[in-house]
Amino acid sequence: MHVIVCIKQVPDSTKISIDPVTKTLMREGVESILNPFDEYALEVALRIKDEKGARVTVVSMGPPQATAIIREALARGADDGVLLSDRAFAGADTLATAYALTTAIQKINPRPDLVLFGKQAIDGDTAQVGPGVSEDLGFPLVTYVRDLKIADDGTYTVETVMDAGIDVLEGKLPAVMTVVKEAAVPRFATLAGWVRAKRAPVTVWTAKDTGADPARLGLNGSPTKVVDTFPPPVKTGGRVVDASKDPAAGVAAIVALMKEKKLGVA
Amino acid sequence: MGNAIQTDILCVGAGVASLSAAIRILRTLKARGAKALPRVMVIDKGRSVGSHVLSGLVFDTACLKGFLTDEEIDGLTSEKNRNRPFAATVTKEAFHVLLDAKHSLPVPWVPPMMQDKGYPVGSLTKLTQYFADIAEKEGAEVYTGFAATELIEDGNGRVVGVKIGDKGVDGKGAHKSNFTPGGEVHAKCVILGEGGCGILTNRLIEEKGLQGARPQSYAVGIKEIIDVPENKERNGEIAHTFGYPADMATYGGGFVYHTSPTQVMICYAYALDYAHPEVDPHSLFRLFKAHPTLAGHIKDGKTVAYGAKVIPEGGYYSVPEVVADGALIVGDGAGLVDTLRIKGAHIAIESGVCAGDTLADCWERGDFSLDALRAYGAALKKTDGWKQLKRVRNVRAPFSINTLLGVMAAGCAWATFGAFPFWQVPMEGDAEATLPLRGGRLPEAPALPGGPLSVDKLTDVFMSGTIHDEDQPCHLRILDPGKCAECLKTYGAPCLRFCPAEVYRLEDGRIHVDFSNCLHCKTCQIKDPCHNIEWTFPQGGDGPRYTRM
Repeated sequence: MHVIVCIKQVPDSTKISIDPVTKTLMREGVESILNPFDEYALEVALRIKDEKGARVTVVSMGPPQATAIIREALARGADDGVLLSDRAFAGADTLATAYALTTAIQKINPRPDLVLFGKQAIDGDTAQVGPGVSEDLGFPLVTYVRDLKIADDGTYTVETVMDAGIDVLEGKLPAVMTVVKEAAVPRFATLAGWVRAKRAPVTVWTAKDTGADPARLGLNGSPTKVVDTFPPPVKTGGRVVDASKDPAAGVAAIVALMKEKKLGVA
Repeated sequence: MGNAIQTDILCVGAGVASLSAAIRILRTLKARGAKALPRVMVIDKGRSVGSHVLSGLVFDTACLKGFLTDEEIDGLTSEKNRNRPFAATVTKEAFHVLLDAKHSLPVPWVPPMMQDKGYPVGSLTKLTQYFADIAEKEGAEVYTGFAATELIEDGNGRVVGVKIGDKGVDGKGAHKSNFTPGGEVHAKCVILGEGGCGILTNRLIEEKGLQGARPQSYAVGIKEIIDVPENKERNGEIAHTFGYPADMATYGGGFVYHTSPTQVMICYAYALDYAHPEVDPHSLFRLFKAHPTLAGHIKDGKTVAYGAKVIPEGGYYSVPEVVADGALIVGDGAGLVDTLRIKGAHIAIESGVCAGDTLADCWERGDFSLDALRAYGAALKKTDGWKQLKRVRNVRAPFSINTLLGVMAAGCAWATFGAFPFWQVPMEGDAEATLPLRGGRLPEAPALPGGPLSVDKLTDVFMSGTIHDEDQPCHLRILDPGKCAECLKTYGAPCLRFCPAEVYRLEDGRIHVDFSNCLHCKTCQIKDPCHNIEWTFPQGGDGPRYTRM
């Protein structure tokens, strides 16, 4: 069994601020970390490895410094890792990113059993790259997975977190899945794990190495244009009914208000 | 024991002292054409390299000659290095004695021993990262997020390694689903470079009787980085102050450094042998920033980073024996700070270089015995840093009696090459210097200045980036909670004030410990008059996240 986990290096969200003029992230002095949702995806993969002896490969796309998160995944127990790093990839939107990752996955293994993603990255928050890769690979997609059980014949049962409750789905591998926080508490890398990872080679591929179509990469392959970014308007107003002295009168006042505004009261 | 990681040299604490030792060992042996190189590991409890270090830093670069290459020395200040530690060079310096909240006396000439003109000024965090990069290029392995929590000794009392702290333990001590045992690392020699008030270092000093002539005394340094509107002319301007808001019986002083056209570092250091338990050093820091002498430097600025750390300032007489069987002590952990020049980084590096030289010899001869290790202690005593430490050996102690006496004694000590005052002035331990509350009650706290730059403690703590997994055992142990009531009565529970991170809180007459605020400064372990607080290690990787301190 072969599980591929796509991971991303992101700025530490506890430390970021937005430049009010350029509207871009101010990255000076901000540490880069492994996207927290990807940690859950990696943990799910490592548990499959623990149970079934699967091979776990991590893939990322980013600047050369992103080898740091590949090493971190190796330190936790991933078997190997590939970084896509090339100027040709720069400026990619979710479509171009999904395409680039797909070419890498296909080169690593044309028939992986499972491709995992975190539900989204904490910098862009789009949640689109996982679904994009499922489309490009032609694999079924399951999003917001909080529990995954795989039988020996490759059939699986998943629980996914939906707005209205939990969906329980069954299917057969291969599949692309995106994982939520509830799926697993990530393990810590041990010192021995880091000692191994420090010396392990990290494969770095350029656009040429994956044989990707240059027209579909980077800015060329990205139809998305960011026109503006802005904080949502602050909600104002609201009315507080003080019911601390006379709860009954307070309730009556609220019910009257709901009737007036026609808010679900007959 | 079978699963222990084996290395040749293990450095505990990835500060400049340890990293200098790592670089020196490997470079020396390569230059000598050694057949095999030792495995050198450096571990640190911080999440990344430099995240637990804090300093001024006006850096005396003399210690780098013959240690780093010219290219590496240039890289410290070169604009081509985007992450250079030093973006400014001291162009203008001043020294002020602050008399009270409004008045100050500029010292018309900066005392020669304190002149800094021409030195680079910047960030110790970044300098540490710079050293770590060099060390890794030389083949040393640097691992962060791992706390060495215990020294391991063999049957003969020789240090043979360390235990690494477990991860994934909950608040009650039970294993969580991601429990990860820390394991052990064994080495031929352990270099202790834990920084000021190192926990393992102090345990070793006590256990082996390595204490210096006097107990170590500390100051707590409280620092902010403030972004200011661009002012190119002030880049490289620095000022040191002495006096207010410290009272005349306490050693206190501060500095303001313009480390870039848009950034100012401001710090106040307050000696922990202060007498009055009502004092809150963070409040003093706020009073200090509002002083007219300082306020102009940070006008219209915005605080962007905060940190605190203790500085060992006992000097020469407080330096312990730096060699034990199987272990060497380097840097701040050995108290190698020149109190008069308020500099320690250069002596830390010199000590690391000496340790590196010694261990390179040990490696070649295959002899790491105590006798062979003693060469480090001898080499340290030949460094310029040590000579300077000796020259100012009597500067600090008179300050604990009276500031004016201290200033006079400092001048005399300098003029007589350290001979004055001809005897070793005794000093009390910091905790013992604490007096009971005057009249048995807490005086009213001083009115604190307002304004955007008078940042309160908790806001400052937020800006330190400190973070601890909240579901873990409290790493600040109150040894006997019963003693707290007595301390509250006698001393007014000084922990509520001396902690620069508001870790200790009084609720319903009991002390609560909000350990997740902790900045790992160790003030509580040092200053608690009842010796009732023990600083232990939280989960590795927790703690402050300094990026440019």
